[in-house]
Amino acid sequence: MTVRNLRIYAPLALYGIFLLLPFYWMIVTTFKSSAELLNTPNPFLIFHFTLSHITDLLTQTQYGRWFANTLFISVGATVLSVFISYIAAYAIIRLRFPGWQAVSTAIFLAYIVPPAILFIPLATVIIQLHWFDQLWALIPIYATFLVPFCTWLLIGFLKTVPRELEEAARVDGASNVAILWKIIFPIAVPGLISAAIFSFTLSWNEYLYALVYMSSSGNKTVSVGMTTELIRGDVFQWGQLMAGALIGVLPAVLVYFFFVEYYVAGLSGSVKE
Amino acid sequence: MQHPDRRRFLELSAAGLGAAGLSGTLPSAAAAAAPASPFKPEPGASIQLLRWTGFVKNDDVIWAEHTKNFTAQTGVKVEIQELNWPDVTPKAALAAQVGSGPDIVMGWNDDPFIYPDKLLDMSDLAEYMGKTHGGFYDTARAYCYDPDVKRWVALPVGVTGNAVVYRQSWMHQAGFETFPKDFPGFLKLAQGLKKIDHPCGFSLGHAVGDANSWTHLVLWGFGGRQTNPDNSIAINSPETANALEYASELYESMIPGVSGWLDPSNNQAFLAGQCSMTMNGISIWYVAKDQFPAMAPDIYHALPPAGPSKQHSIMNNFTSAYIFKYSKYPQAAKEYLRYMLDEAQAAPWVTGMRGYVTLALKGYAELPIWTSDPKITPYRDSMEVTRFDGYSGRPGRAPAQALTEFVIVDMFADVAVNKMTTKDAMRKAESRLMTIYKHT
Amino acid sequence: MTGGSRLGSRFDSPRVLGYLLIAPAAILLLGLIAYPLIWGVWLSMTSATLGDTGAFVGLHNYAVILADPVFRGAAMFSVLYTVFAEAGKLALGLALALLLNQSFRGQRSARALMLLPWVAPTVLSALAWLWLLDPQFSAVSWLLVHLHVISRNLDFLGTPATARASLIVVNIWRGLPYFAIGYLAGLQSISKDLYEAAAIDGATGWQAFRRITWPLLAPITTILVAFSSIFTLTDFQLIWTITRGGPTDATQVFTTLAYQRAIVSGQLGEGAAIAISPIVFMIVLAFFVMRSVRER
Repeated sequence: MTVRNLRIYAPLALYGIFLLLPFYWMIVTTFKSSAELLNTPNPFLIFHFTLSHITDLLTQTQYGRWFANTLFISVGATVLSVFISYIAAYAIIRLRFPGWQAVSTAIFLAYIVPPAILFIPLATVIIQLHWFDQLWALIPIYATFLVPFCTWLLIGFLKTVPRELEEAARVDGASNVAILWKIIFPIAVPGLISAAIFSFTLSWNEYLYALVYMSSSGNKTVSVGMTTELIRGDVFQWGQLMAGALIGVLPAVLVYFFFVEYYVAGLSGSVKE
Repeated sequence: MQHPDRRRFLELSAAGLGAAGLSGTLPSAAAAAAPASPFKPEPGASIQLLRWTGFVKNDDVIWAEHTKNFTAQTGVKVEIQELNWPDVTPKAALAAQVGSGPDIVMGWNDDPFIYPDKLLDMSDLAEYMGKTHGGFYDTARAYCYDPDVKRWVALPVGVTGNAVVYRQSWMHQAGFETFPKDFPGFLKLAQGLKKIDHPCGFSLGHAVGDANSWTHLVLWGFGGRQTNPDNSIAINSPETANALEYASELYESMIPGVSGWLDPSNNQAFLAGQCSMTMNGISIWYVAKDQFPAMAPDIYHALPPAGPSKQHSIMNNFTSAYIFKYSKYPQAAKEYLRYMLDEAQAAPWVTGMRGYVTLALKGYAELPIWTSDPKITPYRDSMEVTRFDGYSGRPGRAPAQALTEFVIVDMFADVAVNKMTTKDAMRKAESRLMTIYKHT
Repeated sequence: MTGGSRLGSRFDSPRVLGYLLIAPAAILLLGLIAYPLIWGVWLSMTSATLGDTGAFVGLHNYAVILADPVFRGAAMFSVLYTVFAEAGKLALGLALALLLNQSFRGQRSARALMLLPWVAPTVLSALAWLWLLDPQFSAVSWLLVHLHVISRNLDFLGTPATARASLIVVNIWRGLPYFAIGYLAGLQSISKDLYEAAAIDGATGWQAFRRITWPLLAPITTILVAFSSIFTLTDFQLIWTITRGGPTDATQVFTTLAYQRAIVSGQLGEGAAIAISPIVFMIVLAFFVMRSVRER
């Protein structure tokens, strides 16, 4: 092994162990019999392999429904947030309307209000809007914590787009709206993908709002459904919990595997000087 | 209260449960056994129940099936929403706050006294049930009857009983033929178990059920109490100091890590054979019978010994059913509760759960499930030995807050784990309690 | 593409179009954040409880919590937790980014896999950590015992000091990928020419890092730390799942304490006050970030 390889792969292995150990444990627990979880000569190995946790999870709980719900909300919240953030970012950084700085600051400030606290007063608002226990309502609700960061990201990204493009289009007589969609939008794609990935991840993982504002079991998301139905009093169904966690991680992993380059490119565009 | 044919019916359903593992609901028996109910559901009624996820799977299954039968018989649609048990109280409180949500909530402990004016008067239902099922235990009444306005604000359901769960072979090995009858004996047993390398374990972490159960047992066992009947703070006392010292000694014999134990931790440690004795509901033995059949015969239950105060008193989590005033179908809600807690439904429910919940109505102490296996019998008396939290003041918002903030548990942990002096720990708890109770 | 009618071109003016384009964001944030926030501030100045509106009490709740040792402890740990976790994430995230910035086989998979902790739902990975830190069942303890590094299982969550340290480690674990990816982006925007010039001048790797890399990463460092510390200062799910604020309230932070007081205990006014208090911290933080962003 060359020195260079060692200098890369050795630390990489250490990072890998630290970052991936819990996932290894999730995998092992998913396929291990419950009794073995409590009594085993070696917790890292599987002695009694079983698929029952996965099959039980998929057949005896509403996991499929929760998965579909979470997918629906995550995609919806992503589309909504990216759209709102894009047009807002464009307005702030390109159109420079009067008061754009104050608006930009205000949007950023919205980020510092934690859902862990806001959800109480927000509950009253949700009730008044008749949004309580309406699954789709989570889409605009999630947008509240996605829009600030996405707007910031897109503002940064749009700053790097050269003005010459716009000026040329304007000379040709294009309206601002046309520029927004036909000229700038295609260039902003890496930034948009970045924002989309970020939004999808945060929506997929959200727990508190989904727990408090949805009540029927048909409206549960993966995190909520699993923790409310697989934790019974003082017995944790570890096998099913970890099976669900693994399956639940898959969509995000797939998205990242294919789009991580875009995500990086999008971010790097927005932090360039 | 038991008629011969009713007893036979109960035996049959118990046997049927043993064979099939599921409920044996007999709608015809239900219709035949109960006299006409005074509660007539409104036409076209549709109600929502918020309850805790069953601790054992049968609980939910049987409850849901009975609910289906209720709908078939009365036409009332019932939607059941289940949450992990500590999450029910906050969700219910939120409903109280916003004025809409589930009609009925099966909540916990002080819930009904936190917002009594938002709750429907349950006196007619409570009195009816009490009269037809042998009356309520005192603690049940304390949790649900408001003496200030002289009405029932909730219908008592029962407790999830706790008992000492232990491995009998190891108890013998530690030098005890029978389970100790007093606190000194209990301590000696713990020390003996540690010596043979099979230590006991009782949670001192923020375990909502397991930490509160035994710490209150020790506190009350020595005569200590959180409050006086007039709600003044009584925690700072020589009795409490004795309790704290005793618990510290017990802690020295425990398995390491109990101060970080949450509710499932003691179950897991016990079932792994690492913990020989703990305090818990019947769930440990229940799981052992399914998954660790070699261990199950060695598992025994006992009510904990009485302390110097000579009274058996445990802090068991108490569940009651309350109906919000905003409900559009109060009569339907009441009839649903009456139906579900009536013998034809309640008996198979408790039996299917193997006695996980001990009902608040004294009549149900005679259910055959309690004596079907001597190991289950100690849980029969759970309601009898339960004291309400915040004893001896009144249930309400303040004791509820003290309970959820683990004031008592932390006091014990401060002395045992953090090595605080009993004086400082008591003073800290007293100061916190004074702040909490001033709010009321 | 000529401009349309008079109306069309008025519509298209920067001013009008600008307001129209930020309208959705504005409505969303005003209605679902600003309004509830103001309502929350109002709540913090009342004696409201869950189920009872209470009365106006001015700053009484704030006085109460400032006198409460549990709140002071929670405030202290919140800051401690944030400072240590951010430092850890920054250092380890940057190191990882430097690693991933090089080309090697398996680079793409490595980048995707490294993101897993951040990508997994917190409540579920927190449960996995609960088991990994269990005093009886921890696989980590098992490994260390079998490697003869320690003689008995570690009690990760049983004493205040170890519980706090464990939570910081878990937070670093979860947030590290976020920093790594952010820094990766930042590193890729630094021109290679600078490094070549430095190499010609005879600079060592460390000098190149100190003189070129670190200063050029300053903007992204600011942004990453700013956004991340807001998340960390108001972390809830991770702590609540693993310790519930225990043992003996040692791991309480602003949000867990606020949740416990407001929701579990029903003291809305007091809980709201606890919740509002870190916002003061964060406004100060945000102010510094805005200043540095504007200076660019």
